[in-house]
Amino acid sequence: MVKIGLEIHCQLTKLESKLFCPCKADYRSFEPNTNICPVCIGLPGSLPRLNQKAIEKGTLISLALNCKIPEKISFFRKNYFYPDLPKNYQITQFDAYGHTSIGNNGKITIEGKEIRITRIQLEEDPGRLIYEGTSEKNKITLVDYNRAGTPLVEVVTEPDFENPKQVRVFMNILVDLLENLGVSEPSLEGAVRADGNVSIEGGNKVEIKNVGSFHDLEKAVHFEITRQQSLVERGIPIELETRQWDDRRKITVSARSKEEEQDYRYFLEGDIPWILLDPKYVDQFKQNMPESIASKRDRYIEQFKIPAQVADVLSSDKFYSDLFELAHNEKNAKEVANIITTDLMGFVDTKEKRQQSKLTSKHLSDLANAIINNTITRNSSKSALQEIVKTGKSLNEIITELDLGHVSDEFELSAVIEKVINEESIAVKEIKEKPETVNFLVGKVMKKTKGKADPSLTLELLKKKLKIY
Amino acid sequence: MVSKEEIERVAKLMRIEVDDHVVHIDRVQKMIEYFDILDKAGIESEELIVQEQTIENLREDKYVPYEEKLIEKLKNYKGTFVRAPKLI
Amino acid sequence: MNLEISALKYLDEIKNENFTVEEFISKTIEHIKKIDGNLHAFLSINEKAIQQAKEIDRKIKSKEKIGKCMGMPLSIKDNICVKDTKTTCASKMLEDFISPYDATVIKNLKSEDAIIIGKTNLDEFAMGLTTEFSAFGPSKNPWNTDYVPGGSSGGSAVSVSALECIASLGSDTGGSVRNPASFCSTVGFKPTYGLISRYGLISYSNSIEQIGPLTRTVEDTAFLLNIIAGQDPMDNTTIDNKGENYLKNLDAGIDGKKIGVISEMTKNVDKEVSSATKNAIVQFEKLGAKIEEISLDMIDYSVASYYTITATEAGSNLARYDNLRYGYDFDLEGYEFNSYISKARKNFGPEVTRRMILGGFVPSAGHAGKYFLKALKVKNKLTAEINEAFTKVDLLISPTVPILPFKFGEKIDDPVALFLIDFNTVTANLTGKPAISVPFEISNGLPIGIQIHANTLQDKLVLQAAHALEKTTNLPGVSI
Repeated sequence: MVKIGLEIHCQLTKLESKLFCPCKADYRSFEPNTNICPVCIGLPGSLPRLNQKAIEKGTLISLALNCKIPEKISFFRKNYFYPDLPKNYQITQFDAYGHTSIGNNGKITIEGKEIRITRIQLEEDPGRLIYEGTSEKNKITLVDYNRAGTPLVEVVTEPDFENPKQVRVFMNILVDLLENLGVSEPSLEGAVRADGNVSIEGGNKVEIKNVGSFHDLEKAVHFEITRQQSLVERGIPIELETRQWDDRRKITVSARSKEEEQDYRYFLEGDIPWILLDPKYVDQFKQNMPESIASKRDRYIEQFKIPAQVADVLSSDKFYSDLFELAHNEKNAKEVANIITTDLMGFVDTKEKRQQSKLTSKHLSDLANAIINNTITRNSSKSALQEIVKTGKSLNEIITELDLGHVSDEFELSAVIEKVINEESIAVKEIKEKPETVNFLVGKVMKKTKGKADPSLTLELLKKKLKIY
Repeated sequence: MVSKEEIERVAKLMRIEVDDHVVHIDRVQKMIEYFDILDKAGIESEELIVQEQTIENLREDKYVPYEEKLIEKLKNYKGTFVRAPKLI
Repeated sequence: MNLEISALKYLDEIKNENFTVEEFISKTIEHIKKIDGNLHAFLSINEKAIQQAKEIDRKIKSKEKIGKCMGMPLSIKDNICVKDTKTTCASKMLEDFISPYDATVIKNLKSEDAIIIGKTNLDEFAMGLTTEFSAFGPSKNPWNTDYVPGGSSGGSAVSVSALECIASLGSDTGGSVRNPASFCSTVGFKPTYGLISRYGLISYSNSIEQIGPLTRTVEDTAFLLNIIAGQDPMDNTTIDNKGENYLKNLDAGIDGKKIGVISEMTKNVDKEVSSATKNAIVQFEKLGAKIEEISLDMIDYSVASYYTITATEAGSNLARYDNLRYGYDFDLEGYEFNSYISKARKNFGPEVTRRMILGGFVPSAGHAGKYFLKALKVKNKLTAEINEAFTKVDLLISPTVPILPFKFGEKIDDPVALFLIDFNTVTANLTGKPAISVPFEISNGLPIGIQIHANTLQDKLVLQAAHALEKTTNLPGVSI
């Protein structure tokens, strides 16, 4: 039996400031060491000043993962020396004296499998190390502390995963959930990082660290299971160890064996009095909580009769579901959903494209209405959408400019049909024996009108002309 | 009893080079022995009492840039990075 | 012009134009230059003090708004950050550290036009009670320079008693303000935990320590508290004192108050100290207080609890001194990280090294439950006991230090003997209660102080009682 547990670190990128000081939470746009102050650089005499909003965000995540929220939370010091850690201890949470982390004992069900969440804790991110120099000899380490103190939430699961696929599904769900809650932007580089631990029947637990992107986590876990299984087959015992994920070679390698067992000397952080989580606040947070993905999905299916597959895709992505909610007016909901999932997702499939897109919810609403009212064919709507995304012009302007208006004028259409009948004499002859050939002719008409022809009117006129009923 | 090995382990853990570990044995031993009186304090049933605060007491989530270019007041490398020894 | 004046007297003299700020500061600096080579109260002197004095004189002359301190010279223990000045903690580890920011208390004092005359000596990182553990040499007791001045805020106490400043700020982790105040015959106050912001105080044992004033009179302590006490957004552990004015009704007296004498703290004391304590009790009775004996069982465990907590917190608080971001000159070329910082941290003195080792030993995985949690529980039970005592009495008293000041080198080698000198002072730190040391007697040329405790946030009551006791004494100043 394979057992896999995860520790996921997620930056609360939606916060304005760091966890313990007013420097910027999103350090990404700064020159090295320009987003620092006495607190996050750990100057002698400085003291942590806990961010109020971090408590709210941590609570939201805990609630979304069905965790219990304690009455009081406390902070601990995790003591270890490393150049990216300015105080040489990390302020984090730890359950030494009962449950005092922001969340505990949660669970989430993925594909029918229940994954237990052990604990959720708030903590500070360390700085970043940059290695310079070419040879071992002249190598030096440079430290940028801009990231130091960035608020993190760590989600710790029980070893409930049985295979790498469950890990992937869980990570996808978690990432969608974090985005949907408005606590993080998982697409930012380094915003979500995960470590795993893997054990197979009869073997010791092996930790995998340093998995840079959570997309690689599935691969790392898969590699590790295969490695452990092949050891067992050869009768070699599996050592209790920590292994690093080698991003380049896509394998795990043994971290240099530690001379001593890690001893973090956890103890209470006296600079931060325990925080009382009045149920009144927790209730308030609950009320402010965005609708969950599952609830959205169910509502889309029930209220708007949107097909399950479409609702799935739409609800799990905050960008699209927000757009959907703004654009639809109940009546056109199904059509709006349709446009988003069949066409729009292809046009704005990256973060950059989403940012560059000139599309507004009004465009989307107009477009859906135009399709419903037959002013534009579904076919032409795709071209219109592409143009809107590119230019941001109004739908009417685009219809005129690109001549996408629906050809529903009988006279105009009849002329085209006449032409097609003349050109496709062979098909016309076949039509007596094979009535479905009429569809071929409809296609020809559509082609000639660049997709603007109303398909049902075309069919009707064709049948009339060719006297088939 | 406090052993030489234990002193060595702790000195390493605390990242302090100690030339003569033996001199610390006696001293730590004396202190630890003194601490053993805590066993007689009869505090097994005591609960932990701690300082508490409400959420209102906490800092508002607002970005306030530090008024100075702090890196220039630290040991720095070309005014941008902090240098650290190599990591093996 | 007399340097031996209280802060409040200084303000009168300036207001009455009996002398200028510049005159007073110049004379103070002259005096420091003359005597501090011997006493070694200071680690550094503010080179801009006279210039600052001139500026304040100008403000006074042109009737501009002037701060409450009116240029009075204050000394600051060298573990409190003063912007753009060296803050060394009397350690070679921070030999070159120049603080880029002001502690909150310093900000407050500067905005009230105080002049920081210099930074005072201490036991390295405040670990000690004699200043013998300063990396830059000990301070000497002005009452008898063969004797220790107490510690760790020894330099602060010396500077106040030897007239090198009007008043000083020290820090008190287990008696570090009250002990030297008692040994040098000054007032020394450890407020309720959280009353004064610790932002900018370099942490030794952050869950129990406080900044506190050392002054010539109780009134001066009240005056300084009005400036430095109160909630600070920079320190989450500060508490609301509702804008208390500590000078108002300071002379309310203690008629009708109930005072408990802590029996554990009067048991094993020098006979001169015991006799002084008895005399103090007589004075309190004369002032109309009712005296009774109070026993707090947990006090016998307080020192063990104190050293366990302080060693654990210090081990973590001092971890940041790895010499990468600030510290002293020691190049890292060619070193590996762990070997570099282990070598760099050799610059800690012997006492700090010992406490680091103890601080690694006590909370390490195998021992966490054994010592640290027990120490916290003793702290809780002691707090419960003292809270219970305060339902019966208003104040608790004891001698500040069980013994008289002693000679250099006398106790330095026996850690447990040194521990026990803290016996009477650590309770206030472990329980967070306010406590003051008031100069009470001079016995054979050596000062003895009396300690007064009250309940949480009853800091003013402590000052009122201390003020009443102070008025019963007529102690000589030190002759220099």
